[in-house]
Amino acid sequence: MTNRRDFLKLSALAVAATSGMPGFLARAAAQAGGKKTLVVIQLTGGNDGLNTLIPHTNGAYYAARPNIAIPKKDVLTVTGDLGMHPSLRPLMGLWDSGKLAWMENVGYPNPNRSHFASMAIWHTADPTQAQAEGWIGRLAEQIGDPFCASNVGGSTPQALRASDFSLPSIESIDNFQLKLPDGMQTPFQSMLNSPRTGEAAYLTRATRQMLKNTARVQENAKKYKAGATYPQTKFAGQLREAARLIAAGVGQRVLYVSLGGFDTHAGQRAEQDELLATLAEGLAAFQTDLERQGVAGDVIVMGFSEFGRRVAENGSAGTDHGKGSVMFALGQGVKGGIHGSSPDLEKLSDGDIIYKQDFRGVYAEALTKWLGLNAREILGGSFTGPGWIAS
Amino acid sequence: MSLTPLPRKLTAEDAAHFLRRTAFGATDAQIRALAGKDARSVAKAALAFDQALAPNNPFDPMQGASPGAAIQLTRGAWLFEMVYGPHPLREKLALTWSNHFVVGTDKVRNTPALLGYLALLRRHAATSSFERFTLDIAQSPAMLRYLDNDQNRKGKPNENFSRELLELFTTGIGPYTETDVREGARALTGWTFVGGRGNRQYLDEPKFVFQAGQFDSGRKTYLGQSGTLRGEDIIRLATAHPQTATFVARKLHRAFVADTPDEAAVAGSAETWRRTKGDVGAVLEELLSSEAFYASRARIIRSPVEFIVGALRTLGQPTFDAKTLLNLTSTAGRMGQLLLEPDTVKGWDGGREWINDSTLLLRLQVAAALTLTSKAPALTEPPSLLAMTGQERPAAAVLLSSLKGRQRTYMSMISPEFQLA
Repeated sequence: MTNRRDFLKLSALAVAATSGMPGFLARAAAQAGGKKTLVVIQLTGGNDGLNTLIPHTNGAYYAARPNIAIPKKDVLTVTGDLGMHPSLRPLMGLWDSGKLAWMENVGYPNPNRSHFASMAIWHTADPTQAQAEGWIGRLAEQIGDPFCASNVGGSTPQALRASDFSLPSIESIDNFQLKLPDGMQTPFQSMLNSPRTGEAAYLTRATRQMLKNTARVQENAKKYKAGATYPQTKFAGQLREAARLIAAGVGQRVLYVSLGGFDTHAGQRAEQDELLATLAEGLAAFQTDLERQGVAGDVIVMGFSEFGRRVAENGSAGTDHGKGSVMFALGQGVKGGIHGSSPDLEKLSDGDIIYKQDFRGVYAEALTKWLGLNAREILGGSFTGPGWIAS
Repeated sequence: MSLTPLPRKLTAEDAAHFLRRTAFGATDAQIRALAGKDARSVAKAALAFDQALAPNNPFDPMQGASPGAAIQLTRGAWLFEMVYGPHPLREKLALTWSNHFVVGTDKVRNTPALLGYLALLRRHAATSSFERFTLDIAQSPAMLRYLDNDQNRKGKPNENFSRELLELFTTGIGPYTETDVREGARALTGWTFVGGRGNRQYLDEPKFVFQAGQFDSGRKTYLGQSGTLRGEDIIRLATAHPQTATFVARKLHRAFVADTPDEAAVAGSAETWRRTKGDVGAVLEELLSSEAFYASRARIIRSPVEFIVGALRTLGQPTFDAKTLLNLTSTAGRMGQLLLEPDTVKGWDGGREWINDSTLLLRLQVAAALTLTSKAPALTEPPSLLAMTGQERPAAAVLLSSLKGRQRTYMSMISPEFQLA
């Protein structure tokens, strides 16, 4: 009888030998090299950019938001005209040391106010919504390693969908292993080897891939000891798992973490204040941890939301769906500061800001300057970014 | 054109297929009892459910000591109903509708509001009027709260419900403009509820009210119609839109026929929908006795809740203590489907989205817990391969038959065939 480790090895071989796998899965992952990691943070629900990076000298901002504007006295000033939401105070140290960047006024052509259509556009990097694959799924195909990018959390976002399957989602590293009862390994493998078609074949492939992925993670994950105290939030816990994967040198180039709840149609101040605090406290702990692990130079964080909110508040002390918004980035590899110009609040389109920076330009810089990949192939075109990566 | 009816009497595999889709799964005896019957009468009988609930449900949400506890009890009570209740198709439909008219317990924390919402899903499960169903949902305190229409007032519109009414509940993206969203919000001003707000009032029953003073009585244009439109008009126009028939019929096909539906078959159901003016019961009866339905085998990846309920029904509804059943609802949550709390108002996309490394591992662990551990229910006779896989002779039959009872049940429960309906 084979022991568990042998079984997993056999399964890995079986993966490579199976013709039903997508082509790139069977290819060697040699070109996956490179140590740099990009951590993508998704703020789900449409984060209000104007109350995140606040134009605190702009009368039009205060006029449009009599109830929910951030009072000037509470703003964490970062430039003469802009300041951060007070809940972002844990990130001020990063700002002061030049490791925090804000990208102003980011969006895409013909903005869509549907959460789901807009999120799909950010996930696929395709404003025409013609593609089903995600930009990180295509990145994985270019690298040729199905394990070069993972979601940390329960369900895999569309960004990580490749042509025939999704990249891994890891909810908890400790539980990320298969413990088959004694004597069941051989029958399990025989059962998987039965010929199948359609969705049954898909499930067989997914199971084999899972066996391979879990083995790889477990081999490496033992090395980590947290270098920071993380807050007791689900989001911070996911960042800790991301730090663990990075410190273990598992080889992932992209890790993806989501924080939801930004759909603030009513009572926005209380909701967004708490969410931004969760975001900032989690990211600050993450950064401290990476520095203590000695890997901070190899990791940058890039955050986005599917859209910002309408400039004017609604009648429920909230905001309805808008268009462009801010992005943020942090890390030693980031060129700190404000990139791009603030939206003109006197000249709006349908009550929304008019975007100036295409988000695909921001992605493109992460792909080329940070990960050393061919952005044109992944994004399906050339896009110029705001120069947010250092050097 | 409408769907072609299945011409033959049901084979045993047909019957297993029907029960996998409409009853989460079944025992060998239940499957054999349907074999040889006529497809139309089988569908009619399954749809002829009443509102009777499972006896001896151990969970009473009104006994919850806090909003959070009451929500957990609501989930437990629902899972109990799915596993032990007399009308699994009604519950499957309620689950489907909860993923269409989505509300979430992240915002809806009032117990009577949640129970009222669930009762609506059951009462309209195979509704004869989708318009009436939508109107009832739109006026339910749960939905008013979840999509903020309770705060939609004259001169201070809140667009949240108005947008999702079109995008997610009726026409789908495409047939409407941003102006329709805004005008719809104006027409829905004044629809709110009284009572049952706040953590201390979580057991107080909220009630829909129309606050005439908060209603914008001005002229509006919505989906091409103009007038001093009211909320009821908006619901009527949105539900009667021809695209609504296609959009919602496609969701029914995703729930009952295939994760990736055949568009010609969807068009057939949409035509029946339009002809019957949104008689969902008639659409379902035709669908569940059609050739297209019976031809579509193993094309739906069971959701976490369907996986768990299917396992328990296939095992012959074994008895579990209340704590174990509650644990199973949170396990379904970790597998990606926490009842009454989809991640977003769009609901769960389902299909291959259910499957990733973590959720697959959990499915394997749940299967082990239900079959191999010391707490697993006693099995006098292991379920037949037909009940577990939907096939009389699955490809792995030789291997599976050579295993002993519990191991065979475990191995067939983690097979791709069991994951599918």
